[in-house]
Amino acid sequence: MVRAAVDWLDSRTGIRAARAHLLDEPIPAGTGWRFVTGSVVLFLLAVQIVTGVVLTMYYVPAPDHAYDSIRFIMDRLPFGSVLRALHVFGASFIVVAAIVHMVRVVWLGSYKKPREVTWLTGVVLLLLILGFALSGYLLPWDQKAYWATTVTINVARSGPMGEYVAGLLRGGSGLGPLTLLRWYSAHVFLLPACLTGFVIAHIYLMRRHGISGPIDPVAGPSRPFYPYHALKDTLAMAVVFAALIACAVTLRAPLDAVADPTDATYVPRPEWYFLSLFQLLRYFPGPLEPVATQGVPALVVAFLVLLPFLGGSGRRLRDRPIVAAVFLVIGLGVTALTVMGLRDTPGHSASEGWNPLAVAGSEFVKDARCTTCHRAGGAASAITTLAMLKDPDWLLSHVRDPQIIAPGLREPPAGAMSVGQAQSVLSYTRRVRAGKPLPPPMAADTRTASLIIGRYCASCHMIDGEGSPGAPDLTHAGRAHDAKWLHDWISAPDEIDAGANMPGFGSFLTEEQMAALVKYLAARK
Amino acid sequence: MDESEKGAPDADTKGRRRFLGGIIAAIQAAIGGTLGVVAGGAVLSPGLSRRDASWLPAGRLMDLAINQPTPVMLRLERQDGYQQVIDRHAVFLVRTGNGVTALDSTCTHLGCRVSWNSESQELKCPCHGGTYDRTGAVKSGPPPAPLARFETRVEADGRVMVQL
Repeated sequence: MVRAAVDWLDSRTGIRAARAHLLDEPIPAGTGWRFVTGSVVLFLLAVQIVTGVVLTMYYVPAPDHAYDSIRFIMDRLPFGSVLRALHVFGASFIVVAAIVHMVRVVWLGSYKKPREVTWLTGVVLLLLILGFALSGYLLPWDQKAYWATTVTINVARSGPMGEYVAGLLRGGSGLGPLTLLRWYSAHVFLLPACLTGFVIAHIYLMRRHGISGPIDPVAGPSRPFYPYHALKDTLAMAVVFAALIACAVTLRAPLDAVADPTDATYVPRPEWYFLSLFQLLRYFPGPLEPVATQGVPALVVAFLVLLPFLGGSGRRLRDRPIVAAVFLVIGLGVTALTVMGLRDTPGHSASEGWNPLAVAGSEFVKDARCTTCHRAGGAASAITTLAMLKDPDWLLSHVRDPQIIAPGLREPPAGAMSVGQAQSVLSYTRRVRAGKPLPPPMAADTRTASLIIGRYCASCHMIDGEGSPGAPDLTHAGRAHDAKWLHDWISAPDEIDAGANMPGFGSFLTEEQMAALVKYLAARK
Repeated sequence: MDESEKGAPDADTKGRRRFLGGIIAAIQAAIGGTLGVVAGGAVLSPGLSRRDASWLPAGRLMDLAINQPTPVMLRLERQDGYQQVIDRHAVFLVRTGNGVTALDSTCTHLGCRVSWNSESQELKCPCHGGTYDRTGAVKSGPPPAPLARFETRVEADGRVMVQL
């Protein structure tokens, strides 16, 4: 029955001959494990396609929803966090595997005549892979996405025709919904189409010229690809996949807080595979910047393109000293820059952790002014489940006086919050959106100090990048002043400086509260 | 595989190839299976999840006319993916003395919305002309089954609750 069906299909399509042609490629004797590298890259690309297709079923490419859709994938979709981790770490695996493959090809001289065009398609594939990596990390619309893309677009601006290129990358006049959509489109339609075409060309050319095999012919008959070399390929894939799945199950794919264009504390850092370029920027300041952003990368790509036409005809490395030396210099340079980039502490937004405002906010939202409406079954969703999409100014007005924004409430909550309290609630809602609705356990007096800072201080002061600008930043209050001075100043500023703008808080705070606040601030060095 | 055996004449080689082929198939199946569990699980699981039934208030018993299907709109808040959505369910409440029946307004034929025709005293589907009587039983037309019923209960204060 099955045989008859296959016979019929074969008579119409020649499927058996095609299968034989695919699997029976003669592989010269001595073609060993060094020749599995290409198959591993191909396999990892297939994993990216499978995981990527499933991710698009849940991802929404719009700035208002992208972050929350990724949070849903990470926190609530069954297998979602493993799925995304496979895709995120898979990208790193591909970059490594592609570089290993390239090094092997250079080492064994596999790109030499007649395989120059095979090499060139490989260079295009490497650039496409980097294009995938670059377009991929804008998509979550978290801090890293936003700021790394801002940097990428500004890098593009520094080159010739820079404004046009930047405009093309941005889509609009600023980084926003149009940018996200075109990067998404590139990531899921344009680049995969190009990738598919070049992969087919690369494999076709590999088959056309046959696998390059060992440099010195090894005696013995050639054997068919399947099952002898296919087994080596499969085992290599299994090892790589085991490593990938182990990473995906044990490590969480990174996701910062949601993109915040006003955050001045975030230090953007690219993925490790772009760190070398990032590091290079530091050595070419000011007008020399295009050397790092365009010049050096262009030279490297030019070298890769010219590589098959340089040097002697032999496949041995010692026959190609110049190629080997330049390749080695580039390799060492990229490695050294990457290591230096990694050694700098990674950038984190101050709003990642729990600062005093967020802690205070988590208390303030328990107030009846919030919970009258924001509760399960109430007029609005509970705050701990909210994804705030409104801009900070709207939120600030709403928190300070809910009636302004929601007129006509039957039982309007009485009283308004101070600016500091409203800033604290805002700070807390950012943590909620980042999937962290509960503050960590802390000492009682730290908690007391946080509440006071939220209620009073944050109306005029900034701390850890949040609060209100105007008065001095409290982030490092303990550096300039000791506990005694802080106590006296907060109690009655005009006794230290007759012209002080700050009101005295001696009469508002109990001795206990004052002690907790002073202790907390003095410890902030 | 027959064509590919050319140049590999002896049975020993053939058996060896078959054995190696089996190993390849097993490893690839393991890889594909693992990937399939993750990807397939993520694709299928939301479709299989059921939401918990919840009791929703649907008006007061004394406001309902006896034996007259009265349409009410029930709002059900539900988590759909990353957002909260509100489903609006149209339900017919039919008071029978001190009890209440709640009929789903979804036609059992192809899912159109039925409405009460007070002249002909029947629930009528606009799509293919199916009709139901006030108990939800099919009177005429293509519907294969009576209208679905929801659990109801009447609270001590006269509020009607419907379980969706």
